Amino acid sequence: MADETKPPAPATAAPKPPPGPPAPPPPKNPGFVTCTIDGREVVVKPGTNVVEAAKSVGVEIPYYCYHKRLSIAANCRMCLVEMSNAPGGKLMPGCQMPVAEGITVKTETARVKDQQRATLEFLLLNHPVDCAICDQAGECKLQDYYMKYDQKPSRLDMPKVEKGKRVPLGPMVVLDQERCILCTRCVRFMREVAKKPQLGVDERGNESFITTFDGQPLDSKYSGNVVDICPVGALTSTDLRFRGRVWFMSSARSVCTGCSRGCNTFLDYLKETTFRYRPRENEAVNQEWMCDDGRLSYKYLNSERVLTAFQGRGAAARDLPLPAAAEAAAGALRKAAAGGALAALFSPVASLEDLLVAALVAKEGLGLSEVYVGGRPDGWQDDFLKRADENPNRRGLELVAQAFGLALKPFAELGPAIEAGRVKAVWAVGTEVPDPAAAAAFARLETLVCQAYNHGPLAREATVLLPAAPHSEADGTYVNFEGRPQRFELAYWPRGGARPHWALAAELGRALGLAWRFQSARGVWDELGARVAGSLPGFEWDSLPSTQKRRGLVPLAAGTVDGRLPGYRERVPTDAVGDTRMDLLKVTR
Amino acid sequence: MPYRLDDTAADLRERLYFPEVIRGVGILMKQFLRNFFFGREKNPDMLARDRSLSQNATLQYPEERVPYPPGYRGLHRLVPREDGRPRCVACYMCATICPAQCIYIEAGELPDDPIEKYPTKFVIDELRCVVCGFCVEACPKDAIRMDSGEHAPPSYTRAAQIWDEKRLLRGPPVSYQYDPWLRRGASSIPAEKLAEMKANAKPFSTVATDEYAQTPGFSVKNLAAEAKARGETLARK
Repeated sequence: MADETKPPAPATAAPKPPPGPPAPPPPKNPGFVTCTIDGREVVVKPGTNVVEAAKSVGVEIPYYCYHKRLSIAANCRMCLVEMSNAPGGKLMPGCQMPVAEGITVKTETARVKDQQRATLEFLLLNHPVDCAICDQAGECKLQDYYMKYDQKPSRLDMPKVEKGKRVPLGPMVVLDQERCILCTRCVRFMREVAKKPQLGVDERGNESFITTFDGQPLDSKYSGNVVDICPVGALTSTDLRFRGRVWFMSSARSVCTGCSRGCNTFLDYLKETTFRYRPRENEAVNQEWMCDDGRLSYKYLNSERVLTAFQGRGAAARDLPLPAAAEAAAGALRKAAAGGALAALFSPVASLEDLLVAALVAKEGLGLSEVYVGGRPDGWQDDFLKRADENPNRRGLELVAQAFGLALKPFAELGPAIEAGRVKAVWAVGTEVPDPAAAAAFARLETLVCQAYNHGPLAREATVLLPAAPHSEADGTYVNFEGRPQRFELAYWPRGGARPHWALAAELGRALGLAWRFQSARGVWDELGARVAGSLPGFEWDSLPSTQKRRGLVPLAAGTVDGRLPGYRERVPTDAVGDTRMDLLKVTR
Repeated sequence: MPYRLDDTAADLRERLYFPEVIRGVGILMKQFLRNFFFGREKNPDMLARDRSLSQNATLQYPEERVPYPPGYRGLHRLVPREDGRPRCVACYMCATICPAQCIYIEAGELPDDPIEKYPTKFVIDELRCVVCGFCVEACPKDAIRMDSGEHAPPSYTRAAQIWDEKRLLRGPPVSYQYDPWLRRGASSIPAEKLAEMKANAKPFSTVATDEYAQTPGFSVKNLAAEAKARGETLARK
């Protein structure tokens, strides 16, 4: 049996390669990533992070430091979630982690809820609960998230860390270092968007605070945005500080008139006062930023407004009803037009509808063939948002003039013409002039009919002064420097006897014998819009796309029918498409 | 029928007539003398008066008052802190919750105080107030109370019922342990005063006590004197 041959030992099998990671499953939706968030299947583009992916199916993951337009810091730890591909089953920050094919994300487990509560407890540990004096009360995520995720009393049994309570960082911004949770959104904004890294974090641990460099103020022209993106009340605006509570205010979707960029804004108002502009998201125009000068440009809506019609100059001025003033103005203008000594001065601050009616009256009622262009003087310019031309509707004026066959002449030629006596009467639609010194020449005019928002150098020389309503008190359209038409909506009804330019011009036209009648800015567009619509392809007057819902009080659809002041509730739902205020009118009147 | 009259025949004493006349005069004299010599019990506490001799229960309004129950909501007052500034931080909570919308506030900024915000205007229209007390409950700083135990004093003009912060800021001052001006100090408070305030400060009470209910020290006479000092007349013009 010695020779008994054993069956040859099986050749030792080649050593198995160590089991590597399993091959990734083939994508369920090629070109997209498919995952499951809280049991719901989500299909998103590759690279989308968990927060955004969850948002797309209506799952809210709380966060402070994440901002979709800034780099990701993942330092607030509020967005930790359970992910099936996390090493060691750790909780992962949802803002930083892109979703992967086939993973499962859970945001409602006990572990996640416990860390949310713990994170909030940590953030609120040294946070002074001075919501009563904080200007961000009503817009503060600490408040919101505390009510939603924490609701536990403080366990701190020693004094809170005290830091600088009132640190003026720059002309626009005041910092409360105690309220800061060091999310560094402001630091990242200044570095990445404003391109002026003026903010930084000093010290370590619970001694850390946001500050500027020694002796260097936060003087960037975009510093106001850090107030908007601060999720707590650490950065407050010197302009709005303590002037009003945001929960009283309502918002209208408006357009900034600070320059010809036409940044989309929310115009926050209470009763008949505009309190602030906030940038409204529009990827194509301003993303969600705006400059400080634009932010402060609302002030002319409130101050020194012309509220009744006046006739006569200086001490001889007496107020009179609008129709009588229009009759007087029309008589004087008709006389001057017959003598060929009449000029019209149109302002590029007026809206497209205003200018359409004004051009109609100038052409058909007064027989003019050229108009002078007024408007504000040029300002500064940069390569981000701000344009040198501080008039929101210069392109609109050009379009209207083209449509009506009116020649545009620069303002600089009007002064010499008045001096030479070629012009004896002027009809000014809007009294902004690029050169205030040149307004002195207008004192020599026999007739100066002004449609003015504010008492100013030109309005003081008016023989007939008509009260005009600015964009906060009217509907309309601005065409920005790129030729993009942008609608703004009425926030509150015109103050006093003020009327929009188109209504004043139509009143003049009626006194001049024109047969045109207009009921609203919408009516103006329906009647005259066709003349410029060819230059504004795809523009629909009723399209005012909603981009954002305002947190806070649930809007009352019917507004003031409960008898409250309009400021106490949203009068117009912000996500309404079309002119719902016309429907509201049927309810309230 | 107020009391029973028995339909019985008169007895001998009644038929004699004069004894009953004398008895009646006696009753009359007793009441006359009692009211004449023991007119009105002077105890100001109306409910605790001794009525054994005096039968006179007349209340000399407005000098005398029926005491209100402890929870009675009287005229508002703005509670001062010990350096005379109001405790109010103009947070608008009272104005927000007020169902009658009778509170109007404008905020201002203090340059030298750990509490930066104070009401430059704080106006209550007492004619619109529905005395619901929501403002007192909403106040996070115990800065508005309705513990004066008083109605708004009568006047012939509506304007006199619109109380501004100068008229509302009255009563004894109040400070609590964790008030920022105690913890951090304020330049408006001298150091020794601050030390005294710190020594006397109590924790912020989360439970309503009798101390919150009524603060003594208000009287109509004082209110009338205040009105006179303001030059406001109660007489119809």
